Amino acid sequence: MELLLTNLGHGFAVALTVNNILFCLLGCLIGTAIGVLPGIGPVATISLLLPITFGQPATTAIIMLAGIYYGAQYGGSTTAILLNLPGEVSSVVTTLEGYKMARNGRAGAALTIAALGSFFAGTVATVLVAASGPLLTSVALSFGPADYFSLMLLGLIISAVLAQGSVLKSVGMVVLGVALGLVGTDVQTGQQRFTFGVPELSDGVGFVSIAMGMFGIAEIILNLERPEQRSVLAAKVGSLFLTKEEFSRATPAVLRGTVVGSLLGILPGGGAALASFGSYMMERKMSRGRAEFGNGAIEGVAGPESANNAASQTSFIPLLTLGIPANAVMALMVGALIIQGIQPGPRMVEAQPDLFWGLIASMWIGNLMLLVINLPMIGMWVKLLQVPYKYLYPSILVFCAIGVYSLSNNVFDVYQTVLFGFVGYIFSKLKMEPAPLLIGFVLGPMMEEHLRRAMLLSRGDVMVFVERPISASMLAIAAAAMIAMLLPSLRKGKDKALAE
Amino acid sequence: MKINTKDLLSGIILILFAVIGYWLNQDHALGTARRMGPGYMPMLTFVILLGIGAIVTLFALFSGPNPLDKWTTGEVLAIPAAIVAFFATYIIVERLNIFQGNYYILGSAILAGCLVLAIPHGWRALGLVHAGFALFGLLLEQGGLMLALVGCILVSALADPDHRPKGVLGMIIFLCVLCWWVFIKELDIRVNVWPQFL
Repeated sequence: MELLLTNLGHGFAVALTVNNILFCLLGCLIGTAIGVLPGIGPVATISLLLPITFGQPATTAIIMLAGIYYGAQYGGSTTAILLNLPGEVSSVVTTLEGYKMARNGRAGAALTIAALGSFFAGTVATVLVAASGPLLTSVALSFGPADYFSLMLLGLIISAVLAQGSVLKSVGMVVLGVALGLVGTDVQTGQQRFTFGVPELSDGVGFVSIAMGMFGIAEIILNLERPEQRSVLAAKVGSLFLTKEEFSRATPAVLRGTVVGSLLGILPGGGAALASFGSYMMERKMSRGRAEFGNGAIEGVAGPESANNAASQTSFIPLLTLGIPANAVMALMVGALIIQGIQPGPRMVEAQPDLFWGLIASMWIGNLMLLVINLPMIGMWVKLLQVPYKYLYPSILVFCAIGVYSLSNNVFDVYQTVLFGFVGYIFSKLKMEPAPLLIGFVLGPMMEEHLRRAMLLSRGDVMVFVERPISASMLAIAAAAMIAMLLPSLRKGKDKALAE
Repeated sequence: MKINTKDLLSGIILILFAVIGYWLNQDHALGTARRMGPGYMPMLTFVILLGIGAIVTLFALFSGPNPLDKWTTGEVLAIPAAIVAFFATYIIVERLNIFQGNYYILGSAILAGCLVLAIPHGWRALGLVHAGFALFGLLLEQGGLMLALVGCILVSALADPDHRPKGVLGMIIFLCVLCWWVFIKELDIRVNVWPQFL
C-alpha cells in the first residue's frame, strides 16, 4: 500500500510537468471533439496523430493518445443525449434513454450524470490499473515462451469471439492479420519474406498505413455514401442539476456500470463499446427504474456511460502488464510504443516507471479535465456539430496523408495506405471486421518469436503447451470460448446484445 | 440452398490469400519444429487460413440469403476498366522514362485507376477520395506541400456533390494555413513547402 502511494506520487510528479499537462489536455480536447463528431472514431484519430507524437518523449505521447481514447467516451455521450446521434459506437445505447430524457426536458440532468458517472468510474478504474499493474506484472514475469504463446492465442481468440458479426469470419480476420504481420525481414535468419523486392517492405507492412487505410479512409467513403442525417435540432440543455430522486436512482447504476465496465475492459476484445452494451442490458433487467426503460430512465444513461469510461481505462491493464492489446485502440498503443523503442511487456513497469505511473496519474488528471471540458462548455461542443461533414472529410484526409508520409518521409507509405483503403472498403462491404485483423497484425510477430523459442526449449515437442499449467489453462479457456460461441443459443445472445 | 453471398466472397478471399501466400512461401526454408526456419510460421498461418476460409465458404452455402448490393452496368464495367487503366498507365509511364524513382510510376498508375473507377456514380466517393490521396503522394516531393494539399482537397471535394466552389476555396485556404502552422512551424517535418520547379 505504501509502495503504491509512493509510486502514485511519482506518477503525479511525472504527469504534472507542464508539457505532460498540456498534452493530456490536448488529448482530452481532441478526444471530446471526435467523440462529439459522428463519423470519426478514436482508432482513426489515434493513427492519424501517431506521427505527430514521435517528436515527444514516449510518456508524453502515450498520455496524449490515452486522453483521446477516454476523452472520446465523454464526448460521445453529448451528441447521443442531445441529438439522438451516437458520436461513438460506445454511446449507441446512451441514445436509447438519454435522448428520451432530453425530450422530457431533462437533457441537463442526463449530461450531468453521464459526466459524473464517467468521472467516478474513471477514478475507480485508475486505482484498479495502479493496483493490478505490479501484481499482474509479477505473475507475468514467471511466464515462459510457451505460456506467452498460449496467452496471445487466447487473446486473439477472445477478441475474435467478442467481435461483432460472425465468429468464424473474425477468426479468419485475425489469421489474415497474423499473415500480414509476416511480411518483412525474418528476425532470426534475416531472410526477406513476402517483400517482392520492395525495400520499404523489409521493415514490414506499415502499421499506420493499415490503420489509416482501414479505419480512416474507408470510413470516410462509407460516410460519404450514406446520406447525411444531421440536421436534427438539438434539444434544450436545461438545468444541469439532478433531483434527489434522480440522484438516488443513478448512484447504484453508476456503481454497477463501473464494475461491469472494469471487468469487460480487461477482457481481450472487450473495451468501451462492449462495456456500455453490457451495462445497458444489466440495468434494463436489474435497476429500480426498469419499468421506465424506453421512456427516459436515468439508469440507462448512468450505467453505460460509467461502464464505457471504466472500460476504456482498464483495457490498458493487459497492455501495460502483459504487452497484449485488448482491442484495436490498444493495438495502436503497441504500435506507438514500439515506434518509440519500447517493447510492451511485463518488464515495462520496472523499466519505464515514468511511463507506467505517469500514464496512470494522467488518466485521473485527464478525467478531472474532462469534467470541466464537458459540463460547463457543453454549448461549444454542440456548435462543433454544425460543421458539415463535407468540410470535415477533406481535413481528415489531408491530415492522414501528411501523417502517413511524415512517418518515414516516403511516398510509398502513401500508396500503401490507398491499397488498404480499398481493402478496408471491400472488407466492410462484406462485413469482415477490421479490428481483429489489426490485433492479429500486432500480435503475430510476437507470437512467432515465442513459438520458436518455446519449441527450441522443448526440443521440438509440441506437448510443452499442454504440460505447463499456465499455458494449458490458457489453451483450455480459449477452446472453451470457441466452443461456447459455436453454440447457437449463446451466439444469438451475443448478436442481440451487440445489435441493440 | 440459400447462398450467403457476402460470406461466400469472404471465404473465397481468405482462401485466395492462403493459397497465394502458401505458394510464395515455397521459397523459404521450413526448418524443423525444433529449429524453425523462416518458412515455418508462414506455412502454419496459411494452412490455418485456408482451413478457416474453407469452413466460411462451406457455411456460406447454407446460411443465406444475404445478397450484395445491386450494381448498375456502369459500376460493373468500371472495375475492369480501372484495372486496365492502372496497368496501361504503369506501362506507359515506365516506357516514357521521364519520371524515375520515388514510385512516380506506381503513383500515377493508382491515380489513373482511381479516376477511371470514379466515372460511374456509385463508385464516385470510393474513386475520388483515393485519387485525392494518391495525387497528394505524386505532388508532394516535387510540387511541395502546398500544391499537394490543393490537389488532394480539390479532387476529394468532388466526391461530395454538395460542395460549392466558394466553400472549397475557403477550405483550401484554411487547411493550407492550418497544415503549415501544425506541420511546418510546430512539428517541422522534413518536406518541401513550395514547388521545386519554379
